[in-house]
Amino acid sequence: MRRTPLQSLALYGAVIVICGILVFPIYWLFITALSQPDALRAMPPKFWPEHPNWGIFAEVLNDKPLLLWLKNSVLAALGAVGLSMVVSIPAGYALSRFRLRGGESLGLVILTSKMLPATLLVIPLFVIFRQLGLLGSLWSVILAHATLIVPFSTWMLKGYFDTIPQELEQAAMVDGCSPIGAMIRVVLPVSAPGLAATALYGFVLSWADYAYARTFLTSAQQNWTLNLGITTMRGEYISNWAIISAACVLATIPVLFIYLFLERYLVGGMTAGSEK
Amino acid sequence: MADIRIEHVRKSYGALTVLHDFDLTIEDGEFVVFVGPSGCGKSTMLKILAGLENATSGRILIGGEDVTDRAPGDRDIAMVFQNYALYPHLTVRGNMGFGLKMRGVPASEIDRRVNDAARLLGVDHLLDRRPKQLSGGQRQRVALGRAIVREPRAYLMDEPLSNLDAKLRVQMRAEISALHQRLNVTTVYVTHDQTEAMTMANRIVIMRDGTIQQIADPETMFYKPANLFVASFIGSPGMNLLSAKPKVDESGAAVELFGTRVPLPVDPARVNGHNLALGLRPEHLTLAGGPASVTVTPTLVESLGSEKYIYVSLPEENRLSADEVSDGRRSEQFIVRLPEAGAIRASEPLTLYFDPARIHLFDPASGAAII
Repeated sequence: MRRTPLQSLALYGAVIVICGILVFPIYWLFITALSQPDALRAMPPKFWPEHPNWGIFAEVLNDKPLLLWLKNSVLAALGAVGLSMVVSIPAGYALSRFRLRGGESLGLVILTSKMLPATLLVIPLFVIFRQLGLLGSLWSVILAHATLIVPFSTWMLKGYFDTIPQELEQAAMVDGCSPIGAMIRVVLPVSAPGLAATALYGFVLSWADYAYARTFLTSAQQNWTLNLGITTMRGEYISNWAIISAACVLATIPVLFIYLFLERYLVGGMTAGSEK
Repeated sequence: MADIRIEHVRKSYGALTVLHDFDLTIEDGEFVVFVGPSGCGKSTMLKILAGLENATSGRILIGGEDVTDRAPGDRDIAMVFQNYALYPHLTVRGNMGFGLKMRGVPASEIDRRVNDAARLLGVDHLLDRRPKQLSGGQRQRVALGRAIVREPRAYLMDEPLSNLDAKLRVQMRAEISALHQRLNVTTVYVTHDQTEAMTMANRIVIMRDGTIQQIADPETMFYKPANLFVASFIGSPGMNLLSAKPKVDESGAAVELFGTRVPLPVDPARVNGHNLALGLRPEHLTLAGGPASVTVTPTLVESLGSEKYIYVSLPEENRLSADEVSDGRRSEQFIVRLPEAGAIRASEPLTLYFDPARIHLFDPASGAAII
């Protein structure tokens, strides 16, 4: 059905307004980073600073161990995502393909665990990690993040595997694959968009965490993640918002790149053409 | 190449039995078609043959070897799926060579066999494309090619043409038959389309509710159906089935059809006093020439160009109950298929001739053929 010009105008207008609302905080973060501290309180607000301070990014990189925090955040996120995928892929596949005794209930239990607030798990995890001697280690954050990621990613992957025709695995098995071989050689490559979306979900969840890092890593500065590090940049009486905003801008860059890298998988319909 | 023996295979899901004592031997090089309506168990039997489902009891032997407990990949069979099941992340070349690669065949040999099969099927110019870049017919050919390159002992085909449009289906049907004649590999083909079964099979296995109804070559299936179900399933349109109570006198047994007495070619003692289901194929009635005749009034005339379908409403006394025929609508209508019929109009009386020897008689209670 073709849209009338008025409908098109309304549609594009709505898209521009929604995008504006979504993008404005990021834009304002960027402006705050580039502005002089006193310019931030100017009324009316300035939407572009008179003398943008481009050197702020170099300044924050020199003054603070931002790259170390960045490395820790990346390691924590990659570790948590890797660990979660190792667990979620076989779990989601089993829930999707096998008629397990109590399989439906098991799936719901897994999903229910996702409904628990992260803060509820902080204390038991703290006790466990203290007993295991993991407090202050990046492993504590990796394992804690995995407990958050696994339930939902298992469900996401189960949903994705459900959409892949079982005949693909059957064809692979007739062609000589074992059931696990069929999963690895056929199902997983075909599931690339689902795997990418799930991995991205896990990465963002880990990247955005503050509570676990604050609880488990406080005493080990060398293992601070970016979010934890940035919050320590806030002074007790005076905060340099330009420096903090610059650090925040730098913190968004890795996620932005990951989105760009995974975009083709996220939007691609890999199973197109396998069937009629 | 190998023969296939299916020995007393039964398949149940809990209390539900979907296959009852399936017993069949398929000769080496034979083309056998499993046909039947949806849910009759034909695809389940094929999957058990492939090793994709386990039989509850019974044995499968391929080439004399018991493969009942072997994995699908160890049975040396190839399967073509209804929805093609091409690997979307691989090219046509990758798809066709996948099975050989899994078996550790050297790359040069894979290349040679893929190229040969692709040439045979006319897809050699598509080898570097991915499945999504192919049309339905091309995908079907690639799926066939994937089976052929393996050079297996048997092909299993699960409704491979049902996703194609009518014209392409006819073309591919002929191509598969030609391919079978050329390769002469034992083939088990599943379909719900009786036309495919009739045109392609050396032997047809017709199934209903998990039970074999008849195993026969297409001619026997058409001319000597074992029961009411086979009679109504095979043929397009299916056999006309009517209720009739024979009267026996000194001239023999006879029934009344459309108010006309029609003699029955059967020993009167076999039918005397019984209610019968009488079958007459739509193509066995003509406009001229035949020992018996009935005068009917068509309710509808359909012209297909070279032939006409004449629909006649059955008199109440000649209607079977819906329980006695699988297709309830067919119990009320009588269809005649007339080639080159000229002008025939609905509501105008029409005299139809037939040979009573063409009549089939069934026991309406058991459905079994009497003659």
